[in-house]
Amino acid sequence: MFFLYELEKTIQLHPSFFGPLIRSHIHRELLAKEEGSNTGKYTIVCILDSFEVSEGQVVAGTGHAEYTVHYKAVVWRPFRGEIIDGVVSSVIRSGFFVECGSLQAFVGRSMIPSEIKYDANATPPQWTDNAEQIIEKGTQIRIKIKGLRSEVDKMFAIGTMKEDYLGPLMS
Amino acid sequence: MLVESPTGLHYPITVVELAKKPEDDIQRGAPLFSYYYETTVTEGDKYGDEKEVKKKFPAGFESSKAGTLTRWFIQNGTVIQRAGVKLVEIDEPCTHETQFAGMCADCGKDMTEEDYMTDGRDVDRATVNMTHDNTSLLVSKKEALLAEEDAKRRLLGVKKLSLIVDLDQTVIHTTCERTIAEWQNDPNNPNYDAVKEVRSFQLADDRLANVAANWYYCKLRPGLKEFLDKVSTMYELHIYTMATRAYAQAIAKIIDPDRVYFGDRILSRDENGTDQVKTLHRLFPVNTDMVLVIDDRGDIWHWSDNLVKVRAYNFFLGAGDINASFLPKQVDLITDTAQTKAAELTKDVEKKSEDSNGEAQVVSIAAKPPESILAPVTNGVLTDLEKQLLTMSGGDNPDLLERQTKEQEKVIISQQTERPLLQKQLALEQAEETAEAEEDVDNADAPAPEQHKHKSLLHDDDDELIYIEACLRRVHRAFFDEYQKKRTAHQGGRIAELRGEKSPKKRAPDDLAVVPDIKTIMPRMKRAVLQGVSIVFSGIVPLGMDVQSSDIALWAKSFGAQVTTDITKQTTHVVANPSRKTTKVKRAANHPQIKIVTTEWLLQCFSKWERADEQPYLIQVDPAEHGAHGGSPEISAFDDLDEGPLLSAEDDGAISGEEDEDELKSPVNVDISEETWQSLGDEFQEFMDESDDDDQGTGSDTDSVNSENSVQTSSTTRSKKKRKRGTGSVDGSEADDSDASVSSSTGSKLQRKKKRVLERVTSLTNVVSADKSSGLPSPETTGPDEGQENGLGGEEDDDDGDAELEAELLAELERDDDE
Repeated sequence: MFFLYELEKTIQLHPSFFGPLIRSHIHRELLAKEEGSNTGKYTIVCILDSFEVSEGQVVAGTGHAEYTVHYKAVVWRPFRGEIIDGVVSSVIRSGFFVECGSLQAFVGRSMIPSEIKYDANATPPQWTDNAEQIIEKGTQIRIKIKGLRSEVDKMFAIGTMKEDYLGPLMS
Repeated sequence: MLVESPTGLHYPITVVELAKKPEDDIQRGAPLFSYYYETTVTEGDKYGDEKEVKKKFPAGFESSKAGTLTRWFIQNGTVIQRAGVKLVEIDEPCTHETQFAGMCADCGKDMTEEDYMTDGRDVDRATVNMTHDNTSLLVSKKEALLAEEDAKRRLLGVKKLSLIVDLDQTVIHTTCERTIAEWQNDPNNPNYDAVKEVRSFQLADDRLANVAANWYYCKLRPGLKEFLDKVSTMYELHIYTMATRAYAQAIAKIIDPDRVYFGDRILSRDENGTDQVKTLHRLFPVNTDMVLVIDDRGDIWHWSDNLVKVRAYNFFLGAGDINASFLPKQVDLITDTAQTKAAELTKDVEKKSEDSNGEAQVVSIAAKPPESILAPVTNGVLTDLEKQLLTMSGGDNPDLLERQTKEQEKVIISQQTERPLLQKQLALEQAEETAEAEEDVDNADAPAPEQHKHKSLLHDDDDELIYIEACLRRVHRAFFDEYQKKRTAHQGGRIAELRGEKSPKKRAPDDLAVVPDIKTIMPRMKRAVLQGVSIVFSGIVPLGMDVQSSDIALWAKSFGAQVTTDITKQTTHVVANPSRKTTKVKRAANHPQIKIVTTEWLLQCFSKWERADEQPYLIQVDPAEHGAHGGSPEISAFDDLDEGPLLSAEDDGAISGEEDEDELKSPVNVDISEETWQSLGDEFQEFMDESDDDDQGTGSDTDSVNSENSVQTSSTTRSKKKRKRGTGSVDGSEADDSDASVSSSTGSKLQRKKKRVLERVTSLTNVVSADKSSGLPSPETTGPDEGQENGLGGEEDDDDGDAELEAELLAELERDDDE
């Protein structure tokens, strides 16, 4: 789910950037460092333009200036029970991996409807019901998040497609 | 799940009442049964008296698992004496067999949660990682077994085995040197033909931030396409490389653009977990019966029985394996003859220009371990402890990956800045020019394969893949023959016919119990190759290295050969460096039954899996050289043999008889015509100057002690003489040498030394025929290593005008002393 979220970040700037363009340097730094990063709970998708920069403070010993930046950003946080779309990144015997943006999800064998079987002899290997549903690398798929876990800068999910309207997306 | 009595209770405990019946649903934390335990406590009464009292304390036992109770192992009143007693069985709804990043893939529960009731961590239920491209997915042993059996059935169904393929230096060779691009754009370059099919690529997520837009140049081993085509019909192919994932994928795209051979079965060092070894258990955790490996390095596989070691593909000379910089350095002893010659040519120039090159510097290995600035050296910095730490650390260790990246960065930067290939080509051209000027003897008999206006440095003449394919086919056939036989007989069949016909019958559903083991089939086939061959290495393994554990020795042993450090009665082959005549070679030359061959012969055997004909690889050893020591070498050599099993009189006779017979056939001794003589003369001259003097003294020494009681002596001597006459070798040497031996046996050490010095001076100052210098008696040095060292010293002398001068001075001095 996407949220508009207010955040704070301390940015250090090298003395060579001090000058009339200092604000744009801070902005650039902010975008480079924060956009697309993952805190473990949510991913910062997009930083909005309006942001506040505090008074700069020179750090003793280094000459760097430190600015505290307040900004608003669109963040994405997955929840258990949420339905998300993703792209299959790898297919193995025990299930398949789905990339949902910054979230890596795994759909295990027990989370796949029983009529969809693993076919190892196909190239590339795939999960298929021998009809229209084929899950192979690159397939777009809709899954429901069953479990979530986060590490410092990564999020992992267990997904299921054993419910109605889940599974490969027909384009 | 079986619940056992936990540690940390006050045993013995007595069960009072079971709270649940079979078939009851149990929540986590629900009381299972109540019990009491007894203990002594100190009680005080109101008068202040204290006494020890035994008391019963009631307590409850909570379930650490949720599920359905299936049965009790205890009943009311049971006394539990210790931890580890079976209490109750609870059928869990999910046993968390597959876990992804700490979550159960079947129920989505977080496996890392722990509380006061946790008696065994759920994460420990699934510990086996068997996925190629992901380290987060773990399965339990049971699951792994099931998965493997599944895979086996499937493979047996399509009559395939699994083959793990290494990338670098096995099927491809990659360098980062931009010289390649320049050569590619220059049709006039001597290397143009060789490099025109080199593929280049960049890695998008190259983490080598300091190296701007790094290009990789990848040369496919000749015949790779056909190889993959044919092999993929017999094997399911996997990639297992020590390179990064991005690199492996880029290579896979080149060698397998349609992803038909490898699919997604790519395992890189990002997922490997350790950077020191490759292990089959990473991919096949339970059973490796149907797995083969092809790799150019045996050590990182610990010489597994599943391994088919192939000859390293070294196309870009000196580039080595850019992705193995963090691996223990591999001492490369052997290359193609063409490469060797190229290296030989460049050797001298390199010495002067202090050129840094890696493994291609074959020739100089024996002389001096190559001190290259290239990556392999940096490995030496790693201490054992560090290595171990590295090995133990997991796959996601950022420090480890960081370190590997850094190592690799070094290699790449050095390749980019030093451009060893370019240097080598220049050196080669330079060497050629000097050679032309001086009419270098070495150069004259070296066949010049590609004579453009300059010789090209790179040679595209590797044919290893053809042989590998043939071997893999044989193994495949042997495996399925045996499988078929076992299945029909349904009891352990006899040894499979190695070259049986494929059964035309359609395969019925298999029986996993009778699947033969590739770990017994393949070694059996391999061992038949060099069965009964006993090898001594000479001038091949660098000094200071344990011969038995050197790569080539282990490789030879895997083919059933015996490797000994010294020449014994059993020795059949001496594998020697053709450019150096060591003690062992000379001793072996006295035994016609011992074939002296180059490493190329051994490599041919390894490649083709059959005993190659020794004839083309024989090293011609001058019979006059070893015969020229007054009949002493034979005896001395036999003395050496005596160090092994003792020779009885009959044995001796038998052997000498054999010798005589062999003599007629043996090419070492017989087929040396006058022309060969002439052409080889100069070369021998050189070698004799280097090491002969030292080596042969041993012979004369021992001779003087042993010759009287040796019955054998006369017959062998006679045979030697006969041989000499046959070859028409220089005879003056004989008298000369017998003199020398006599004098050396009687004379003191000092005298001998002096004489040696004298001789050396003369041999260096006057260019004379071989016999003169070969007759050098020697000091007390013995042993093969000694010989090599002396060889070194000799070389230096040759190079060095100073040493010559010094020797002369010394000789003068001693002469003065005498007078």
